[in-house]
Amino acid sequence: MDALHSFEVIRPKTVDEALAARIAHRHSRMIGGGTDLLVNIRRRIETPSVLIDTSDLTDLKTIEHGDTGLSIGASVRLFEVAEHPNIQHFYPAIAQAAGSIAGPTHRNMGTVGGNLCLDTRCIYYNQSEWWREANDHCLKTELGDMCHVAPKSKGVCFATYSGDLAPALMLFGAEIDLLGPDGERTVAMRDFYIGSSRQDGSKGDGINYMAIKPGEFVVRVRASSPGRLISGYDKIRIRRSIEYPVAGCAAALTRDDDTLTDIRIAFTGTNPRPVFLEGTADLAGSTLSDSVLEGIDNLCKDQLMSMKTTFTPGHYRRRVATQMAKRLVGQLFNAAG
Amino acid sequence: MNEQVKPVVAAGAEPVRSVGEYVPMVDGPEKASGRAKYTADFVGADALEAAIYRSPYAHARILEVDTSEAEATPGVRAVVTGNDCDKTYGVLPIARGEYPLARERVRYKGEPVAAVAADDIHIAKAAIKKIRLRVRELPAYFRAKDAYAEGAIDLHEHRPGNLEREVFFELGDVEQAFKGSDLVMEKEFHAAEVCQAQMEMHGALVEYDPIRDRLTCRCSTQVPYYVHLMLAKVTGMDQGRIRVIKPHVGGGFGARTETLQPELIAALLACKIGGSVRLLVTREETFITHRGRPETDLRLKLGMMKDGKITGVEFENDQRGGAHSSYGIVTILYAGSMLYAIYDLQNVKYIGRRVLTNTPPCGAFRGHGTVNARFVFEALVDEMAGKLGLDPIDVRRRNYLEAPTFTQNDLMVNSYGLPECIDWVEQASGWKEKRANGMPDPGPGKRKGIGFACSHYISGASKPVNWTGEPHATVNLKLDWDGAITVLTGAAEIGQGSSTIVAQITGDVLGLPLDRIRVIAADSEVTPKDNGSYSSRVTFYVGNATLQAATSLRQILVKAAARKLEANPEDIDVVGEFYRAGSQDAGIPYQEVVMEALRDTGTITTKGIYNTIPESWGGKKYRGAAIGGTMGFSYAAQVVEVTVDETTGEVTVDDVWVAHDCGKALNRLTVEGQIEGSVWMGMGQALSEETSFYNGLNVANNFLDYRIPTIHDSPPIHTHIVESIDPHGPYGAKEAGEGSLSGFIPAVANAIHAATGIRFADTPITPDKVFLAMEKAARFSKKKETV
Repeated sequence: MDALHSFEVIRPKTVDEALAARIAHRHSRMIGGGTDLLVNIRRRIETPSVLIDTSDLTDLKTIEHGDTGLSIGASVRLFEVAEHPNIQHFYPAIAQAAGSIAGPTHRNMGTVGGNLCLDTRCIYYNQSEWWREANDHCLKTELGDMCHVAPKSKGVCFATYSGDLAPALMLFGAEIDLLGPDGERTVAMRDFYIGSSRQDGSKGDGINYMAIKPGEFVVRVRASSPGRLISGYDKIRIRRSIEYPVAGCAAALTRDDDTLTDIRIAFTGTNPRPVFLEGTADLAGSTLSDSVLEGIDNLCKDQLMSMKTTFTPGHYRRRVATQMAKRLVGQLFNAAG
Repeated sequence: MNEQVKPVVAAGAEPVRSVGEYVPMVDGPEKASGRAKYTADFVGADALEAAIYRSPYAHARILEVDTSEAEATPGVRAVVTGNDCDKTYGVLPIARGEYPLARERVRYKGEPVAAVAADDIHIAKAAIKKIRLRVRELPAYFRAKDAYAEGAIDLHEHRPGNLEREVFFELGDVEQAFKGSDLVMEKEFHAAEVCQAQMEMHGALVEYDPIRDRLTCRCSTQVPYYVHLMLAKVTGMDQGRIRVIKPHVGGGFGARTETLQPELIAALLACKIGGSVRLLVTREETFITHRGRPETDLRLKLGMMKDGKITGVEFENDQRGGAHSSYGIVTILYAGSMLYAIYDLQNVKYIGRRVLTNTPPCGAFRGHGTVNARFVFEALVDEMAGKLGLDPIDVRRRNYLEAPTFTQNDLMVNSYGLPECIDWVEQASGWKEKRANGMPDPGPGKRKGIGFACSHYISGASKPVNWTGEPHATVNLKLDWDGAITVLTGAAEIGQGSSTIVAQITGDVLGLPLDRIRVIAADSEVTPKDNGSYSSRVTFYVGNATLQAATSLRQILVKAAARKLEANPEDIDVVGEFYRAGSQDAGIPYQEVVMEALRDTGTITTKGIYNTIPESWGGKKYRGAAIGGTMGFSYAAQVVEVTVDETTGEVTVDDVWVAHDCGKALNRLTVEGQIEGSVWMGMGQALSEETSFYNGLNVANNFLDYRIPTIHDSPPIHTHIVESIDPHGPYGAKEAGEGSLSGFIPAVANAIHAATGIRFADTPITPDKVFLAMEKAARFSKKKETV
């Protein structure tokens, strides 16, 4: 990788100072642990002139847990989420997801805000400047107009979202609090990730994958109370550390006697957005039978769209994500019995 | 007497023996504390920083390299292109066709075309972007079969059909052997290209002194002597005006077994400006420099009798060699010759093609030439054992060599510890019980299996690639008034422990503690020439030279002690830091012996050399039959136990038992480390590593995408050292650093078969391949049921 270019670092002490810096520097980037951003900068994928370092934003470093739910500040480190006793107890999927991100050093540096905003990834994009130029660039950078994953994609990008936290948080109806020039607003996580990459001209793909306005930044994420939901997270990687997920799956359910009364499933590593599987409500109401598993199969077939954005074939990623979901649901159902 | 010398009491004196013990490496403290200086740590105060402009084309005729804008950039001091050097380089004297900077044609994406030296790296990198390359593109070939297909244009005029070398030999009568066999099987395999992925990226600091016309090069290399030769060749300088210093090196595994572009380009720039230039390349550029193991298509046909005796072998393989020769001819010859020397084979047909393609050049990677061939051989033997209802271990037993012997292709085998290796892993792994009674239950959705394979490797090529007639190794020892002994060796310490071995042998011969010994290695101005650290030659060849030099020094000291004690030299006991004439003698301390020895001669220097014997040089039965010739073969056997996840296709390696016959472990700590490292590297190739290309662009060019196993993926490795005491090795020692690699790949493939019933013939065996194959097998068996 290339040496870093010259840039200014601002390290605000308060959220207000951060916002002021953000307004003053339109092309600034927020930096938490830098485990994603710095790599992209050293590849000249982006060259921001100002980095706003969130390390000193103590207001965003708290985890609060109460009857109404869970609130995690954007600057909380990933290892803190993984090790938090209440998250482990009430939201095991979230703790497990956080604990499985990359390797220990990444989790020590990486932040919740950074993981939620993780840039989408593609083998034709996460490359050096020389490489991208030798490959005639791609859609996702300013210099390119072609998608190497799907050359006939009409300007739609398929870069894959691979943050682990988002699918786990989605199980609990999570919302993201954003702060920007127009003040604070809250967006449901399912509306925050817009990378559906439809060919119908609707907005949202691997390039524009977050519903975030210029100057806005994530301040915290909130999940509602789990109630009786029991949850878990599973992922597959080619090696067991320092890897983005080949596919990740979060699931939660409730069980009353032998009846599956609620079931929620979400994925990462498959589409340009974390996918909260739509239509699972119809699968509840009976025991965990083959027809429920078949139902999961069918929903996955419709909603998971794995393209050739990673080394691992898309077909496998979609299939294994589905299989993993069924296994996880089975394990949770048994555990709830 | 020197007052600083510690008094030694004769009664308590004992010679210090380190050979055969667990000895920490002599350069360990620097490395563990971060004080060790690698090439990138040398920052010449006046050194310019350099960067390389690389071809974005896979194959093209160069029309123009316009550097005018780059040259006009403030802070740029020199730009070089192919026009600055019309001399070729390369490791094999018969295949030196590569230019430091491309001329006339570029042949792979990433090939160096021009380079800039500037006041700092930012200026250099910015200037690189201003270089304009105008070309006429040519058809590019990224697979071996496309490159030698009819009608393909030649990458190099002197290699028609893009065949770097086609090898054919048949010894015995293979057709006849198959006819008389109880079982004949034939299978095709594929092994992906892999890269050494050593920790340290390539780099060089070259200082040219225009007043004296002298050049000093520090670079990360395994072969300082070859670098020296090629620096002289490409700069046109007299070799006596060049000095090559090898700093600490962060691994090699064969990636640096030849001169690479960074040192040559830095030298061209340094000469052009008359100053110092530092050229450090990125991880991606290190991957592009490559010299790894080629992608190989393989076909193997074996004949076997009902009792497991192998009757005949027909082996064919095509290696995608990349755009330049490198070690290619040697690699394709090794793949054939090293079918031998592990089992008793009497009918062997070999067809090998080394093909030139528009990808980065492959080279010599740990287990050079043998690894993919061993994978397919051991995998097919396992399959055939299954078909014949035999225990795969018993099949190996049926095919043992009997040492000493010469193989059918004239390779000399003097020691053969394979049977002991096999016995140990069979016992330690519980092989028989596990196969008879089944594996422990891995839980729902999981399957367990156990697999076995053997491997071997040479202890140094008996004929070096640059054959000069000089001894293979020369070591000088210096002893002065202070009693310290300095070992001067050209052997390149690259992390494998060569400096520790020469210190140990010297200390052991003299009975002295290691802290009396200092090692100065690989500085051409100071140390004797050495061919370098490759083909597992150093312990055997440099070790023997050290043994000779130390023995000669011991004789001098014993004679001096005899003079002082008025005794016969034969009666002198050397008890560490004490010399005495018989056990009743009060004796004299080492330091007094040293002063007596120095009295008439001053500083003492002794020398040891080592030469291989002609019997080890391989035969002449086919062209290139010398490749494979060595002074001794190492042997290894391993058992691998795996769990396969039915849901995801993930393979977990649970346990590895590996026994390695290294003749004699001079240092058990470093031998065990080498065996573990070999197993681990084999695991990478077997399960996760692959350099892949998209339109000729190296896609997995970093440590995220090029998947070296992490510590989480690393199983417990139970190592066992077998000591067959080779008659020619120093203390009986042979190779320890490569032989255990290739066995892992078939052992794990065999274990996955035992778990799933599926034979995987394509590495790396990644979860997607396992998953899809299991899915297919399940569909197939369902179909069968309905039928």
